[in-house]
Amino acid sequence: MQALQNPSELIAFLDEHKYVADEELVTALFLLLKLNKPLLLEGPPGVGKTEIALVLAQWLDAPLIRLQCYEGLDVNAAVYEWNYQKQLLGIRLQEGSGMSLHEKEHHIFSDEYLLKRPLLQAITQPFQSPVLLIDELDRSDEEFEAFLLELLSAFQISIPEIGTIKAMHKPYVVLTSNRTRELSDALKRRCLYHWVDYPDLEKEMTIVKKRLPDIENELLQQVVHAVQHFRKRKLVKIPGISETIDWAQALMTLGFRSLDSEAMELTLGSILKSVEDIRQVKEDGVEAFV
Amino acid sequence: MKQQAFATQSITESIVAFAQFVRSHGLNVGIQETQDALLAADTGIMSNRDQMRFALKSLFCQSPEERLVFEKLFVLFWDTNPTDLETRKNQTNIQGRVEQKTNPSLVMMGFGKTQDSEEEAKNMSGANATERLKQTDLSKLSEMEADWLETIAAKLFKEMALRLRRRMKNHQHKGLIHLRSTIRRNLSKGGEPIELMRRAQKPSKQRLIVLLDISGSMDKYSFLLLRFICTLRDYFRQLEAFVFSTHLVRVSKALKLTRIDDALALISEHAHHWSSGTKIGDCLDQFTAKYGKQLLNGSPTIIILSDGLDTGAPGLVEEQLRFMRHRSKRIVWLNPLKGMQGYAPEARGMKEAMPHLDTFSSAHSLQSLLELENILANA
Repeated sequence: MQALQNPSELIAFLDEHKYVADEELVTALFLLLKLNKPLLLEGPPGVGKTEIALVLAQWLDAPLIRLQCYEGLDVNAAVYEWNYQKQLLGIRLQEGSGMSLHEKEHHIFSDEYLLKRPLLQAITQPFQSPVLLIDELDRSDEEFEAFLLELLSAFQISIPEIGTIKAMHKPYVVLTSNRTRELSDALKRRCLYHWVDYPDLEKEMTIVKKRLPDIENELLQQVVHAVQHFRKRKLVKIPGISETIDWAQALMTLGFRSLDSEAMELTLGSILKSVEDIRQVKEDGVEAFV
Repeated sequence: MKQQAFATQSITESIVAFAQFVRSHGLNVGIQETQDALLAADTGIMSNRDQMRFALKSLFCQSPEERLVFEKLFVLFWDTNPTDLETRKNQTNIQGRVEQKTNPSLVMMGFGKTQDSEEEAKNMSGANATERLKQTDLSKLSEMEADWLETIAAKLFKEMALRLRRRMKNHQHKGLIHLRSTIRRNLSKGGEPIELMRRAQKPSKQRLIVLLDISGSMDKYSFLLLRFICTLRDYFRQLEAFVFSTHLVRVSKALKLTRIDDALALISEHAHHWSSGTKIGDCLDQFTAKYGKQLLNGSPTIIILSDGLDTGAPGLVEEQLRFMRHRSKRIVWLNPLKGMQGYAPEARGMKEAMPHLDTFSSAHSLQSLLELENILANA
């Protein structure tokens, strides 16, 4: 990573890596790097929250460690677990080796038998600070959120059998949430906050153009217009930017040069992901969106 | 407290004053945030106005609503022209002090209440009006409020379903180790318990039966209550729902539709007797006769949403409820009228039902419906 003086430098880099960012987001990223505070990104699905962490890792040339949250995520899956099977074998191998009980115990609870899960991996990186992405935090349980508090403020993890492990290099933490529930205030206070929203027409065109440089202008305009139109309607699942890109790609692959009702009928499935939505749009007549 | 940037001497003082300023307007900004803001200023980005705004925004705000508020406060603090305000300075301070005590609001000097700020208030989570609306009797809502309430209700109900689901998960233990199958499984490995077999988790039997009264007297409530039932669907794996007035109609299938509006449309199509009279006893009789064998087993929880104004034959309600009680885990009766002051269950239907109910509570406001969460969590 080059020495970063100014947020604007980041914009250019992100742009090179096909991520269109505005100054607001970049300022938040700049502070993340400078103050070493976690960054909490909230916003609807499919607006590129996760992507930010990926690009950030590229910029820093640092490893990306990702933890996908889900209901019932526990410490075993997120922090560490003892490799039980290997420990058993270890005990067998030790038989008759003449080691003392204390030595034996020490051996089977050593690093060798520890399965490092993402959070532990993130604080035990030997050479440089990694980027730790904690994805869709709102899906996890509140207990897990409370556990994260300790990690995010002190960057250390306690393992009863070994002791406390302190981060050698503090990771850059990016948390994302779809806001299906409010995260706790305590957690939010430890983070920088940025709200990522659906892009406006112009920005979305830039993004699609960036991702699909070969797209023809007419198709690009029509596709983005239609998507912007979809977002204004009461749909079960509102399409995100990734869907827009998928759709444009689908249309290009099928050789359509502009969006007509036939093209729409054939490819509606790549932009609308629910039967009800598709039916609703079809009932209204696809012409309305072309 | 300094109200404007021009009143301060240095950039450090300005930032600290700004932190205090936004705090007094309801943003959750503490010492830590102020310190971070100063550190951020130290990195040199404060020379650019926009960058400074964005930086402070990401440090001080914790939700999209707060971000809207912040934009206004920022302009107010940093952009006011000293000469314009010189004369009104004292006045400002007093106003500021008063507002500190009341709830955060944005109506301030020179900034009239615009349409925008109204919108904001709507979105503000925990805003005063939301709280008030949660407690308002559903029958006393104006049309505009009803729309708004629906939005809030959708959000709150969704959160509730999520919480309930999570709570259920926490109750389940991770399967215990099953010794016999572990030994058997590991025979091929010389009896060493390499692979641990666990007892399967018991399938949780969460079954809920909801009976909603849609007679004329319930008109003001039934729509929102139906929406409430739709929410419960997300949580209970098996939800059976019925609507009744003079007849009983099973609407479980309609509720399975993903779009809530479709579900509501389908239900109103099938229930021809919407807003007619009530025969609670007869309907309960239909229920036990037609669906009793099928549904009243495995101890379901039964929720009845009705005002208890019965016009059917006397005694029938009691008889049916006694029957149902023996075959269910618990019966919860939610009565919108109970929210009224001085209400006593005097209506005949209600009086007959009382001895057989496990829980009798009100359902007149959003708040009271949300309180049902605790009852259901133990279901």
